[in-house]
Amino acid sequence: MNPSEEELVQQLNEPKRRAGAFSVIVRTYQERLYWHIRKMVLSHDDANDVLQNTFMKAWNGLDGFRGDSQVSTWLYRIATNETLTFLTNKRMRSQNSIDEVDEALLQNLRADTYFNGTEIQMKLQTAILTLPEKQRLVFNMKYFDDITYEQMEGILGTSVGALKASYHYAVKKIEKYFSDEDD
Amino acid sequence: MKNNKNILTEEMSRELPFSVPENYFNQFADQMDKQTGFKKSIIRTVFKPWMYMAAMFVGILIMGQVFYTINRNNTTRNAENYETYVLSQVDENSLAEIYVEEPAK
Repeated sequence: MNPSEEELVQQLNEPKRRAGAFSVIVRTYQERLYWHIRKMVLSHDDANDVLQNTFMKAWNGLDGFRGDSQVSTWLYRIATNETLTFLTNKRMRSQNSIDEVDEALLQNLRADTYFNGTEIQMKLQTAILTLPEKQRLVFNMKYFDDITYEQMEGILGTSVGALKASYHYAVKKIEKYFSDEDD
Repeated sequence: MKNNKNILTEEMSRELPFSVPENYFNQFADQMDKQTGFKKSIIRTVFKPWMYMAAMFVGILIMGQVFYTINRNNTTRNAENYETYVLSQVDENSLAEIYVEEPAK
């Protein structure tokens, strides 16, 4: 039987039990975090790298985690920051425009062995890539994971009102993308 | 246009079109364990609770067998000791009489 979140947080503060508790945390949250990252970076290899960085950051920052927020919120926050940092670095390395980097992400996706979507799903991914990064995050979290705005507020540090507006605009843009494509 | 308006709510599957290599998450978790220096207890991982119960049952059986064997040996030894004691209390002539008289019965 897995320990409760309260027990896990307590074990994280005990040096002898820390690694064991962290192992439980990795096994509990790795899938959710992987998909959160993968939706942003698209390719499996990149998602794998960012996920590793996320957990290593969490492991090295355990002393700073006092259980004020939920473990999941804390991890999502780190994963989100790591993902945005990864995308920024990718952009800086390539010294290309945002559009060119997004196009490169799409090309990676098309070539990725671990993409098995239909044509319309590829079209949706292309449409999502037209959104600004923060809006993409909000759209993905709401549309695919159905995360509540209140939970998102804790993770992204943005007010519920702003998140609702952001999602609304994202949906409008995607609908417009499909509409323009049909014309 | 109607299709495009409803495309996200009606037509599009919310399932992600991505997959991962086989056994990816197990391997990832093991790799993280190595990086944090966590060593899984093999006994704890391999021996599930029902196996503990089975091991306990087998242990009780073995201990029962050992106790039974020791107890039986003691009983045999006690019988032998008793026989030696009885024989030591009887003189040789009386003993010879018993053995000689016996076939006549």
